[in-house]
Amino acid sequence: MQNAKDSFYMALRTRLVAINPERTILLRGTVRPGILVEEAEAPFSQLPNDTFILRWLGLGTDPDLGSTMMAGQCEILYQTCGSQSFGGLDRGRALSVMDEELAAMTKPFYTLKLNYTATPATAMLTKVFWDEPTFGPCVIQRNRLSRSANVMVYSYQEQGE
Amino acid sequence: MLADALLRSMTGTTALLRVTGTNTDTSQSEVGLVATTFYEVAVSPVVMRKLHPTWQDGDESKWELFVSATSVTQQVNALNLESAQALFAMTLAVTVAGQDYLIESIASNEAFGQAYLYRLLLREAHKQGT
Repeated sequence: MQNAKDSFYMALRTRLVAINPERTILLRGTVRPGILVEEAEAPFSQLPNDTFILRWLGLGTDPDLGSTMMAGQCEILYQTCGSQSFGGLDRGRALSVMDEELAAMTKPFYTLKLNYTATPATAMLTKVFWDEPTFGPCVIQRNRLSRSANVMVYSYQEQGE
Repeated sequence: MLADALLRSMTGTTALLRVTGTNTDTSQSEVGLVATTFYEVAVSPVVMRKLHPTWQDGDESKWELFVSATSVTQQVNALNLESAQALFAMTLAVTVAGQDYLIESIASNEAFGQAYLYRLLLREAHKQGT
């Protein structure tokens, strides 16, 4: 499932750069697209604003097929306080923009499965595919709006995985 | 500096900041595949105190670390960083007496517009595998 998780993240990351190249984050001294895998970064005392955070939760398998199918539940969290120039009054609009970006990032609902342990990453035989994101309700904490969306990500286990 | 002298007088010790390298913009480092370059930055004198225990089941203890601003400034200059905040933002963990801690929040005490002490709120880190 690790290759599927990596491929899913990289697909979303690449698509985000195309959709909104200005959504970036300064992390570990580097400016990079505003999306990250929570388990691959130092623990956050507070999640960064205006960034998509991928959190891997549930895991399931279906061994009754020709190849074992794995399913991973990915929760994508994002939050915003709006922008300083609007005094935060645009936070609702900023969250809507992130909603739209996430919906656009997940389309099409598949990508090639790549093995990132090799440099450069090598293409595998199958694809990673996923459901439409299920958006949760907006959570309001004072001036911060946050939302999470759930996506079930599927992939077939290949030889050597 | 008076703050340094006070920290030393309270059995000031040394803390190691585990800082990441800046060249981490690779797809491998973003998915946790590459142990990016780390280096340990020593800051001294520091004093640590345990915060009033409001212990909850499964919760780690919280500590407060007083760090000399002089030492932080020296390291910021040595690493060619913009500010102390940049240094702390690149810090993955703080090691004191062999125990790792994660930074929860950072505050500074200032006099005449200059920081003389940094206060890091720390939480004990779970032991990592080798």
